[in-house]
Amino acid sequence: MMTTSLKSFIPWLHVILAALVMQSCSGILSGVYDEPSDEEVTTVAGQLYIDASEWDKWHYIDLQEVADSTAANSDFNPSVLWSTFDIPTQEISDNDTRNGIYTYWYDVFGSGISVNEFRSFYPTAPQPQPQKWSIAVHRNNVRTNGASVAETGFRDLDEIPHDKSFLNALIFQEDTWSETDVWCEQSRMLLGLIGNQGIMINTVLSSWLDVDIPPIPPSFAMHDNVFIIRLKDGSYGALQLVNYQSQTGTKCCLTINYRYPI
Amino acid sequence: MIQCLLLAFISAASTTVSEASATAVDSISEYDEVLNEVVVTGVRAPKLLKNTPVQTTLITSRMIERSDATDIEELLQEEIPGVEFSYAMNQQVHFNYGGFGGQGVLFLIDGERLVGETMDDVDFGRINMSGVERIEIVRGASSALYGSNAAGGVINVITKVPKNKWHVGANIRYGRHNSQRYGINLQYRNKIVANSLSGNYSSIKTYDVHSSPDPITRVITQIYGNRTFNVKDQLVVTPLEGLKFTARAGYYFREIPRITDTPERYRDYSGGLKGQWDINDNHEIEIAYAFDQYDKSNYMKISGLDVRNYSNVQNSIRAIYNYTDSRGDILTVGGDYRYDYLDNTKIDNEAKHEANADVFAQYDWIIDDKWELVGAARYDYFSKGDISRVTPKISARYRPSYNTNVRVAYGMGFRTPTLKEQYYNFDMAGIWIVEGTPSLEPETSHNFNGSFDWWYRNYSFTVTAYYNHIIDRIATGLPYSKVEDPSQLYLKYVNLAPYDIMGGEATVEGRWNNGLSAKLSYALTHEVFAKDKDGNPTNNQYIPARKHSLTARVDWNKKIANDFDFTIGVNGRYLSGVTNIEYKDYYDITAGTTDVRYPAYTLWKLSGSLMFCDRYKLTLALDNLFNYKPKYYYLNAPLTDGANFMIGLSINLD
Repeated sequence: MMTTSLKSFIPWLHVILAALVMQSCSGILSGVYDEPSDEEVTTVAGQLYIDASEWDKWHYIDLQEVADSTAANSDFNPSVLWSTFDIPTQEISDNDTRNGIYTYWYDVFGSGISVNEFRSFYPTAPQPQPQKWSIAVHRNNVRTNGASVAETGFRDLDEIPHDKSFLNALIFQEDTWSETDVWCEQSRMLLGLIGNQGIMINTVLSSWLDVDIPPIPPSFAMHDNVFIIRLKDGSYGALQLVNYQSQTGTKCCLTINYRYPI
Repeated sequence: MIQCLLLAFISAASTTVSEASATAVDSISEYDEVLNEVVVTGVRAPKLLKNTPVQTTLITSRMIERSDATDIEELLQEEIPGVEFSYAMNQQVHFNYGGFGGQGVLFLIDGERLVGETMDDVDFGRINMSGVERIEIVRGASSALYGSNAAGGVINVITKVPKNKWHVGANIRYGRHNSQRYGINLQYRNKIVANSLSGNYSSIKTYDVHSSPDPITRVITQIYGNRTFNVKDQLVVTPLEGLKFTARAGYYFREIPRITDTPERYRDYSGGLKGQWDINDNHEIEIAYAFDQYDKSNYMKISGLDVRNYSNVQNSIRAIYNYTDSRGDILTVGGDYRYDYLDNTKIDNEAKHEANADVFAQYDWIIDDKWELVGAARYDYFSKGDISRVTPKISARYRPSYNTNVRVAYGMGFRTPTLKEQYYNFDMAGIWIVEGTPSLEPETSHNFNGSFDWWYRNYSFTVTAYYNHIIDRIATGLPYSKVEDPSQLYLKYVNLAPYDIMGGEATVEGRWNNGLSAKLSYALTHEVFAKDKDGNPTNNQYIPARKHSLTARVDWNKKIANDFDFTIGVNGRYLSGVTNIEYKDYYDITAGTTDVRYPAYTLWKLSGSLMFCDRYKLTLALDNLFNYKPKYYYLNAPLTDGANFMIGLSINLD
C-alpha cells in the first residue's frame, strides 16, 4: 500500500521539481508590467512633448515656427523646436534689478506651501531667451512672450468653435511677476528654504499643472482644459496639457496638444 | 480611564473569586486550554506552550476572532503592549516593538520569511488575519534558529489547517471613511487531502486631517486610502500516515493613491512546497521550498502604463531533521539556502543578487521534571560582502511547581546589511541623496531575558525582563556634503556606536466562569539613543520606542438564549510621550540638536457581537470610543480623526 502510494506520487514530484528548476530566480509574471523607455517618446500630429523636469531650465517654443514647419512637412516632429536656456544663478552686482533669486521659507512640513515668508534676495542676469518664442515652460510654470491666456471649459481641441465670437467672452490674463513659483534652487529644501527665480509667469496657463506640498513627495494635479493664448501679434492659439509624466513616470514631462492658429 | 479599568478589574476579580469558589470551578480552565496549545517557533519543534523553554506569547484564534482585526497591524496594537505602528516619510508604515524596528524583528508566515521592504519594514498589509490559526511571538534574539533579522524577536503567523470536512465562511465589515472589508474562506478535508482557500478585499478612502497651528515638526495633512486584495490557498496531502505534503500559493495586491492619477501598486506572489515525514516516533524530516516575490510599481492612469520600479525575489530551500529520544529530548539539525534578487531603480546600476547558506543545530535537554535546557548554534554565510556569522543561543526553563515557570535565556542576534543599505542611491526630492555603503558590518546584538509565569485557576501572571546590547547598528548617519558637490546633502548608511535597549513587560489576566475575562499588560522600554562612532547623535528617521505602554481589555460573554451568544468588550491602549533628538539645522549640524517631544495618547474601543444559530455573527464596534483627535498629526500620532463606528457580519457554515 505504502509503496503503491509513493510510486504514484513520484511522477508528480518530478513535475513539481521541474517547475521549480524552471522558476526564474529573477521573478515571475513580468508581463504584468509595462516597460516603456523615455528614449522612445511618441507624439501624434498636433502634439508637443518636452521634458521640463529640471529645476534650472526654461524651454522655449515658437508656435508660428511650429505651424510653418508642420505645414511644410506633415511628418515633421515639432518637439525638436524647443530651445533650452539655463536659469541664471550667478550673483551679479546690480542693485537696481529685480532679476535674481528670491529665497522664501515655505511651511512644507506644516500648513503647506501657500504659507511662505521672504528670506533673502540676490541679483542675477536676466533670463536669456531666444529671439522668437511664444511660450516657455519650467516644470509646472509657463510664461508667455507678451501674450495673454484664458481658460475655457473645453476638454478637447475639437470642441473649439469655428465661430471665433466665443473669444469675446473669455477673460485673458497677461503674465504677472512672481518670486514664489519658479523653484530653481533646492539646496536647503529640508529647512523649507527654496530659491525662486523672480520672473514674469502666466498664472492662468500655469494652472494646468498644480503642485502642492504637503504631502512629501509633492502631489500633482493636472487640469486638461483647453487654454486659449492670444499672442502679442493678435493671433490666437489653443493649448491643452494632456500628460505631465514621461513614459517611465518622471513628473513635469509635458505632452501638450496645440492648435495654431485657430 | 486606566485607573477605572484597574478598579473594575480588581472588583471583577474579587467578586468572581467568590462565585468561582461557590460553584466549584471546572478542573480544566481556559488557561489550561491555552497552556496546552502547541507552539513551534521558540525551538522549531512542537512544544506545549506551558512546556516550551523559550518564552512565547501566543495570540490564539479566539483572540484573533474577538479582535475582528483585518491585518496584523490592527491586531498587535490591540493585544501586545510595546508595539507601535507609526509612520515614516511618505506615510510608509513603520513597526516598533520594544525598541526594535522592522529590520530587527523577523516576521514569518508559517515559518517562511516575507521579502520586500519599504522604509525598512515588510508590507504588513500582506499579513492578513483571514485564515490565521494563531500568532506566536518570541521576544529576544533568535538568530541561532532563524538567522539574520531575528535580533529583537520573531513573530510567526500560523495558518489554519481545516478541521472539518467542509467549512464555508464569509465576512463583511463597514466603517468610517467608507472602509470596507469582504472576506471568504473555503475549507475542505478528507482523510488524505485538506485544502483551505481564503480571499480578502478591503478598502478605505483618502481623508484629510487638520492639525493645530505651529507644529514643532512635520505633520500629516492627508491620510492616504488604499484598496487591498489578498488571496491564498493551502493544500495539505497526507498520502500515508506520517507523511505530509503541503503546497501553498498566494497573491497580494495593494494600491495607494498617494498621487491621485499615479497610484502606487504593491504586489506579492508567493508559493511553497513542504514535505514532512515522521519516520517513526523518534525521527522527523522536513524539506521545504519557498518562493516569494514582492513588486512595487506606479500605475500612470493618464497613459495607462504600469511601470515596475522594485522587485525583490527570494527562492529558498530548507531541510530540518528532528530526533526525539525516549525521554523527550530533541536534537534538531538543519540548513537553508536562500537566493535573493533585488531590482530597484533606486539602486546603483543594475539588479543585485545575494546567496545565503546556513546550518544550525539545537539540543533540547529535559533534565528532569523541573529543568529543561536548550542550546542552539548557527553558522550563516552571505555572498555579498563575504560575511559569515556564528550565533549561539541558550535557554533554560525551571518549573518549581506545576503552575509556575521561570525562564532565562541568552541569545545573539545579527542582521546583515540589506542590498538597499549597501547599494542605495536615491535622490529624495532634492532634499538629500541617500547612499548605500557596500562595506557595512553586520549588526550584532546580545540579548539576555528572563520571565516568570504563574497561573492558578482563573488567573495568570507573567512578568518578563530583557536587556539588549547592540553593536554596529545600521542606520543612516549624519547629513554631509561632498567637496565636489557642496550644495547637495548626502545621507549614508553607517554602522553606529554600541547602544542598549532594556525593558520588561507584566501581564495579569483573569477569566471567570460567569463569562467575564480581563487582561492588563504593561511594557517598559528604555532605549539609550544610538550615536554614530564619533559620538554625534544620529539622524534617526524613525521616532524611538515609547517608554511606557499599556493595553487593557475587559470582555463579558453571555449565552442569552439557546443559539444566542452575546459578547461585549472594551479594550484600549495607552502609549506615553516620547522625546526624539533632532538636529536644528541639517545643513549646519554645529547648530546642535533639540529635543522634540511627541505627546502621549490613549485609544479605546467598545465592541459587541451577537452570535446566533452557531453560524451568524453580528459585530458592532465603536473604535476610538472617546473621539480622540491628535492636536498635531505627527508621524507617530494615531491616524484617527475621531470615533469610528463599524458594523460587521460573518457567516460560518460547517
